[in-house]
Amino acid sequence: MDLINNLKEVFEIEGKIKNDFQIEVEAKKELVSSILLYLKNQHGFIHLNHMSCVDWIEDEIFELVYIVWNPNIRKTVMLHTKIDRNNPEMENIDTIWDQANTYEREFREMFGIEFPGLVAEREFILEGWTEMPPMRRDFDTKKYAEETFATRPGRENAEDVRETIVKRTGEEIPDFAKKYSRD
Amino acid sequence: MSNKINTIGIPTEEEIKKAQIDFSPRCTSAGRVNDKETQKMVEYILNFARKHSLFVLAYGTGCGAIEIPATMTSRYDAERFGIRGAATPRQADVLLITGYLSTKTLKRVIRVYEQMQDPKYVIAFGSCTINGGMYFDSYNTIKALDRYIPVDVYIAGCMPRPESVIKGFIKLQELIKDGNAGNGECYRDNLDWYRTNQQKIIKNWDFPDKYNW
Amino acid sequence: MEGIGFEILGALLTTILAFVVGMFFGGLNRKITARTQNRVGPPVYQNFIDLMKLQAKRTNIAHGFMGHVAPIWIIIAATTVLMFIPILHDGLWFRNLTFRGDLIFLLYMMVFGSLGMALGAGQSGNPNSAIGVSRGLSQMVGFEIPFVLALVSLMIQFQTTSIQDLMAYQHESGQWIIFANPFAFLAAILSYLGMFRYSPFDIVGAPAELASGPISEFGGKYLGTVMTGGSIFTFVKLVLMVDIFFGGAGNFGTGFWGVVAGLVELVVKTFIVYLIPVFIGLVSPRFRTEQAIRFFWKWPTVFGVIAVLWAVFL
Repeated sequence: MDLINNLKEVFEIEGKIKNDFQIEVEAKKELVSSILLYLKNQHGFIHLNHMSCVDWIEDEIFELVYIVWNPNIRKTVMLHTKIDRNNPEMENIDTIWDQANTYEREFREMFGIEFPGLVAEREFILEGWTEMPPMRRDFDTKKYAEETFATRPGRENAEDVRETIVKRTGEEIPDFAKKYSRD
Repeated sequence: MSNKINTIGIPTEEEIKKAQIDFSPRCTSAGRVNDKETQKMVEYILNFARKHSLFVLAYGTGCGAIEIPATMTSRYDAERFGIRGAATPRQADVLLITGYLSTKTLKRVIRVYEQMQDPKYVIAFGSCTINGGMYFDSYNTIKALDRYIPVDVYIAGCMPRPESVIKGFIKLQELIKDGNAGNGECYRDNLDWYRTNQQKIIKNWDFPDKYNW
Repeated sequence: MEGIGFEILGALLTTILAFVVGMFFGGLNRKITARTQNRVGPPVYQNFIDLMKLQAKRTNIAHGFMGHVAPIWIIIAATTVLMFIPILHDGLWFRNLTFRGDLIFLLYMMVFGSLGMALGAGQSGNPNSAIGVSRGLSQMVGFEIPFVLALVSLMIQFQTTSIQDLMAYQHESGQWIIFANPFAFLAAILSYLGMFRYSPFDIVGAPAELASGPISEFGGKYLGTVMTGGSIFTFVKLVLMVDIFFGGAGNFGTGFWGVVAGLVELVVKTFIVYLIPVFIGLVSPRFRTEQAIRFFWKWPTVFGVIAVLWAVFL
């Protein structure tokens, strides 16, 4: 709680305690790198656990989450920010922690968020990808998979194999398999 | 019948979309007729040697690679069948595709498959190679393996246990004894059909024109 | 029954004997390893089946002329060294060219095979082969020194460089040279561990570390030829050790059954010597190249120097 009060004196944030070891903080996107640097230097949150991105397609917002950890008092701070979905840009925190390079590279490929100043190769996991960034919620992955990759004939919808065979040939499901069928 | 593409160069986008791709696989090992009738005794002896010493390439392409050490070590000993690991594709006979294949891995697997020397066999593990398995709606994994490289034996499971793996090897041994396994020549004959399928999903195609078989 | 046809027949028989025994020893190595690890291994004749399968490959890829010639070079080196080592002590069979050879010639002929492999592997252009070759040649710098010291100490002690004379000395005096100069045996057997390239000195051809080093671009017929050359060379090294230190074989007279008994004795003795690298290889991890060279220049060289001093002063 002192931590949230201390942060409120210095920055303009909203925070609450989630449970014994997790603190949630929300801030605007321009303050993120300053808050992270302040937490790292002044309060001992020296380890970047994870960075994650949530796609709120109804509100047209990407929400970025930064999770940092203090090994002395064993607490994590989860920092949320919101970015505009139609023109996503975020500041590069590569200079604070080196591992953020890989996370930001993944966001750039999978969500389409631009990080000006990020020095990394464009292609990460997908090679020669020309469509929409695939982790966005308006990318229909099932339709794309059916169009691009050749399917096994007879298995286009992922039905249960035994029930398909029963419908096709009229056999009986054996006794030992009855408890696994969906009927 | 399908409209075969006439050139073995890189076909354009329109050509790929226009070609009616015939979805039945070209090279399988089931039910193939062995046409070496004149050299029966020699082929019998050579097939005996081929089936009792299989060099497996030590390349784990997917999540099924975790069953390979279990098969090779003391409890389910695979070395008593003559199966041992080989380090490079030039020395190997059998390529194990253990599980799902993303498009990035598929490009490398095709290169590895073309470097192996005849007669060469492919064993496909798991349900991802049969019909897409758990990743049937993924934007990055293939759904049916034998449109891209020819496959001899499929082993069902997710992942198959070592007993199933050994049963798969024994099935491969029976196919070799009848002279039905080994699809390297069939791959070379139907190369443009395979290339069409491969180039449809591999976007950054940079294989050399004259590949050294 | 002298005559050039007889000598050629003897040479062929020697080569076939070396090939068969070497392949069986390879299969026995795999069987012993498997049984020690509490599993059933491949059958003892597995190496023959591997060789047949490799020769029956339908396409064989080589990268240029030297890559085509390198496996043949290995067989030539192994067979040449084989011709200069007496297989049996007395007798007209298996005599080959023994009366002309000596230890100094053997010392430099034994590295010929590695030279051929180095040239062939370099042509393929694979960086794994180049690294494997450089590591193999550096290790050879390591194990050649105690080996040379051991042989030099024997040459000083018995005032001869011919293996035939060493075998005659053991035959007449009834005492094996391993008891006459035990430090020479220690130095020689420790340097043999490096020559056999089993663990702990198998960094040259390790499959997981280096994609099997120099032989990484060989497949099909070429790999089969390399395997054959390796088997013959194994037999050659073992027979050399048995001849010098363990009294040789063939002390049963010159009749037909004497020759057969002599061959059986030779196979038994070489198998017992072969067990030493096999058992040490089973339980050892792998040394890096600089660790291996440091090992060879420490204790085996000390044993070699003590052997030379023993030979000079005793």
